[in-house]
Amino acid sequence: MTTTDARTGARGRSTRTVPPHRRFRLALPYLAPALVLYAVFLVYPMIDAVRLSFFEWSGFRIEKPEFVGLDNYVRLFTSDPVFWTALRNSVIWVIASLLVPTVIALLLALGLNRRMLGRNLMRAVFYIPAVFASITVAAMWRWIYNPTLGFVNQLLHAVGLGDLAQSWLGDPQFALASIFVANIWQAVGFSMVLFLAGLQSVPLELVEAAKLDGAGAWQRFRNVTVPALRPTTVVVVILTIINALKVFDLVVGLTGGGPAQSTQVLALWSYTQSFTNHEYGMGGAVATVLLLVTLALVIPYMAWSMRGDES
Amino acid sequence: MHAIPRRAFAAIPVASAALLGAAGCARSGPDDLSLWMVTQDGAQGTTIQALISDFEKRNPGTSITLEQRSTDDHKNALRQFAGTYLVPDIYWYWEGSGLGGELVDVGMSRDLSDDYTRLGWKDRFTDAALAGITQYGGYQGVPWTFQGQGLYYSKSLFAKAGVDSPPTTYDELIAAADALVAAGITPIEFGGTVNWHVMRLLDCLLETTCGAELNDALTTGDGDWGSEGAVTEAFTELRTWGKKYLNDGFMGINNDDSSQLFFTGKAAMALEGTWFNASVVDNGMDPDDVGIFPFPTGTNRLYGFGEAFYISANTKKSDLAARFLDFMTSKDGQEIAGDAWSAISVNASMPVDEDNPLNPVWAQIFEDVDGGMFANNDQNFSTAQTTEFWRIQNAVLTGDMDPADAGATFQRFREQEG
Repeated sequence: MTTTDARTGARGRSTRTVPPHRRFRLALPYLAPALVLYAVFLVYPMIDAVRLSFFEWSGFRIEKPEFVGLDNYVRLFTSDPVFWTALRNSVIWVIASLLVPTVIALLLALGLNRRMLGRNLMRAVFYIPAVFASITVAAMWRWIYNPTLGFVNQLLHAVGLGDLAQSWLGDPQFALASIFVANIWQAVGFSMVLFLAGLQSVPLELVEAAKLDGAGAWQRFRNVTVPALRPTTVVVVILTIINALKVFDLVVGLTGGGPAQSTQVLALWSYTQSFTNHEYGMGGAVATVLLLVTLALVIPYMAWSMRGDES
Repeated sequence: MHAIPRRAFAAIPVASAALLGAAGCARSGPDDLSLWMVTQDGAQGTTIQALISDFEKRNPGTSITLEQRSTDDHKNALRQFAGTYLVPDIYWYWEGSGLGGELVDVGMSRDLSDDYTRLGWKDRFTDAALAGITQYGGYQGVPWTFQGQGLYYSKSLFAKAGVDSPPTTYDELIAAADALVAAGITPIEFGGTVNWHVMRLLDCLLETTCGAELNDALTTGDGDWGSEGAVTEAFTELRTWGKKYLNDGFMGINNDDSSQLFFTGKAAMALEGTWFNASVVDNGMDPDDVGIFPFPTGTNRLYGFGEAFYISANTKKSDLAARFLDFMTSKDGQEIAGDAWSAISVNASMPVDEDNPLNPVWAQIFEDVDGGMFANNDQNFSTAQTTEFWRIQNAVLTGDMDPADAGATFQRFREQEG
């Protein structure tokens, strides 16, 4: 097997002759528009949300935000009636997202990577939900879960399991899980496509060699496919964590965080505190906690996976 | 590669500032008015445009720019621009002390006492409509709608259950609900996902168990929610209604879905407001088969709320704004408005539109009520309190909170909020 290093190519040689600081200056005009947009619409609001978390402000421009130090955080951790529910639900959502849709996506990708009749059609069928806006998915599933006319309860009644019919979105016991099922339906396709792309990079000669050495299907998967899928898995895991922590529209569209805030998640609670309750300081505090949780999960995982790549 | 001149970069912020400035000045003509409302759909959308067009025709050279936003966006936009030159000349808002009252408190609205005297508005409006305007002191805003809320019922389903006449006491209402259950009919429909729908039931139960004085102290005063047995009683009743009388799975559907149960004869009652008259007809019900009675709270107060147009304190065109609102609430304006917003006009001289047989029923209810009114609690509370009130209400309904803890939990939140 031969390998090539892009850095040794003709284009690589020409860029290496330019000193790094000059390269940056040359690239700056091209980067500037994106950097300005990034700074204005992402970095500034992020910093401002953290700043706002130390203030009490009702959102009225004519009222000066009052500096309250850590009061919002104290209130959040000690007396906010919803924060811990939202945090717990967000953590559950992350763990469940890493376990269920990711595994299903991998299995689907493995299955649909084989030569079979209707393979492309099935790939499209599984991917299509990922194209839908989450709010559309929520509208569809709201009907599916409708307690009287919905597909799920109608089906249960039709097959003689009417006793299992529930108020899927109205009962705190089932509501979060019900939303998560809709999330699985939507999220599986995207991860599946990433895994399918990753599977194309699995060296066939290694698989064949393992076969000749007498390795079974499980051994070939574990010792050849999984290591080759590592870069893809890193991307899938990171995207899954981030998407899970920022889940918002699906919850809004299906339950609005209810019943009784039992399906609240951090992103939605931050929005609710700021834009519904008009407690922008509290909203900023929830957003800051969400940011820290995201960084605490993503950065160590990225560092670990990069170390793995280097070794 | 050609270097991009530095001047090009320098020009970006200047051009941006110029564009923003131009945008800000674009609507500042002396005869132009800006009007902000929540998004008006259907008949309301076409009627507001008709009203604006008519005013512009009667006043050549004037122009009204209507900006519409969703409910939350409307609230946020007004907060964001309060006190700046970007506020509209006129804004539409709910009158409740926790909503319109909050904007009055921060000085966003102009006191129109002089206009009320100059334009004869003190005699124009019904007492109920005017009460919402004078509640803050002075005359803040011009009433646009006054919405009464009560129990709509299907006469045929009541008859099927052997209920001969609409209940006049709470005990009779419970007896009617029991009779409906016994006849296999869902007594009343609600959609729980929107929170404010079921809240109407809780509001009426609080008025019933607490009485008018205590309910006012609790909802708009400094009453102690944690120490009143009547509050526990109301939450206990709420749970009973949830278990026995509401449609199955009500917590998992919204008000639009639950209303279909009433329209299609699957539920016997709906706790709705004057706007529901048109919905009943639009959804194919025979209005002659529908009756309306006030929730029998025993206080003889009507459950309702008002909506108003307010003139911004910052506007430099208050005369033109007052002229526009004078037209909107005049007989001419109200004839165009018809019953697009409400069955009963805020203009006291407007006859009731009898095209819909339910409109005169409301007129009679308004006439019969002599104890004043009590408003929806999402209009009385701050927005944060409302969110917590709904959480507690729903937790009681789902069985996650003991009704005995509900009042104390809400009181703790109110105290913590200060």
